[in-house]
Amino acid sequence: MPEQQQDREKLQKLEASAKDLQELRTALLNMLEDTEEARRQADEDRKKLELIIKNLSDGLLVFDASWNLELLNPKAEQLFGVLHDEVVGANFEKLGKAGQFASLVALLSNAKEYLFRKEMSIDERAVVEVTTSPFHEQRGELSTLVMLHDITREREMEQTKTEFVSLAAHQLRTPLAAIKWSVQMLLGGDAGEISKEQQTFLDKMSQSTERMIRLINDLLNITRIEEGRYLYQPTFQELPQIVKTMVQSYQDLAAQKGIKLQEEVASGKVPRVLVDEEKIRLAVQNLIENAIHYTPRGGEVTVRVLHDTKEVKLEVADTGMGIPEQQKKRVFEKFFRASNAKTVDTEGSGLGLYLVNNIITAHGGKVWFESEEGKGTTFTFTLPVREEISEFLKKF
Amino acid sequence: MAKILIVEDDKFLSELITQKIGAEGYDVVLAMDGEKALDVAKTEQPNLILLDLILPTIDGFAVLQQLKTMPETQNIPVIILSNLGQKEDVERGMQLGAADFMIKANFTPGEIVSKIKTIVS
Repeated sequence: MPEQQQDREKLQKLEASAKDLQELRTALLNMLEDTEEARRQADEDRKKLELIIKNLSDGLLVFDASWNLELLNPKAEQLFGVLHDEVVGANFEKLGKAGQFASLVALLSNAKEYLFRKEMSIDERAVVEVTTSPFHEQRGELSTLVMLHDITREREMEQTKTEFVSLAAHQLRTPLAAIKWSVQMLLGGDAGEISKEQQTFLDKMSQSTERMIRLINDLLNITRIEEGRYLYQPTFQELPQIVKTMVQSYQDLAAQKGIKLQEEVASGKVPRVLVDEEKIRLAVQNLIENAIHYTPRGGEVTVRVLHDTKEVKLEVADTGMGIPEQQKKRVFEKFFRASNAKTVDTEGSGLGLYLVNNIITAHGGKVWFESEEGKGTTFTFTLPVREEISEFLKKF
Repeated sequence: MAKILIVEDDKFLSELITQKIGAEGYDVVLAMDGEKALDVAKTEQPNLILLDLILPTIDGFAVLQQLKTMPETQNIPVIILSNLGQKEDVERGMQLGAADFMIKANFTPGEIVSKIKTIVS
């Protein structure tokens, strides 16, 4: 029965191919499902990303390789006061003429490298920090991401704080001036002769008033340091010259306390330093005053100026009481006073070294000390030497 | 004798400084606010003005600015005597043409008189 045989074989083949087809179908369906899943996933990712960009509290802009605006999130819309559809697609140059974008376009055009938290005002009310970053798109072109961090509120708070401090200082100084002037006039005999005993009281009053006035001045200085706008028009100065006049002005006090106060300047030409002269004087003054204050009779205070090509260094070395080992870490803290310092002098404000540290740091320098209790302390600060020529050229 | 105009809204402070300056033999005229200061400066033609900054009606900076634009007052030297004294305040005062800027709490009446003498003489 060859015929029957043949039919059966045919049937078997058919069944086999049908099975193959079935499997192929399943495989195809699976693949389709996977693709669908991947597409859904990509879709979801894209939506998630969009949502993040939309809800970001920072403003975000993306410029393509030819500096056309590709993307702008709602925070950026709000900061610039524009709508997405009005500006997307527009070229950088054209945006610059649209008013709101003028400061950003000017900033980015002048930037030679990518920006990091560069402060910029959009208009009178909004202040932002601008950070830019490059990224490659799939086509291999270089786009630019611009991030805007809104600091308007911080700036407003700072402004309020400044106004408050200024007002408070004024309000505190006015009654103090009244006390000071009255006492001075009483002491000067403007209201008639005073007895020796009365004079003693008035002298004490005068000293207390002066202390209070100094404290207010210190507090004002500190507020300004913390605002970060403390350095005022730095100029090139010769540190040895500053030191010389400061040492001279403290000779009387040193002599009263029976302390030898001297200065030493290392040989060679000391490079000039770019400083806010008034603030550097304040720092040097604080260090010399401290040294004289906390050194017993018969001791020595030496102010040294050292230098190399990179930095100018100032040392104030005393043979005083020193700083207790376990308190060394806290010396530069605001209001901190070492336990032994408090026993010698109850009047210090604990602001002096805090000021010194802030002033020197603001100048790009460092300050530190070495101290041994009962033997003495040496405070040192450095100021970086900047190329005068390059600083000079920056002005043009 | 030279005439000094004191512009000061704090009554006690103005009494103290008037007494001190008067004792040196100067004629003293007073103004307690900015508007008065401008009027008195014009009519009295003082030889020097001691000017506070925080004042009722017109503040001291505006007073100084107007003094320096009016021909009849622009040559009168003005010493700012205030308890403001931030660098920006000092700078602004000097730019507006003040002869000096003194922070009240940092000077004694005697020192203020010495300053007046150096400018008026």
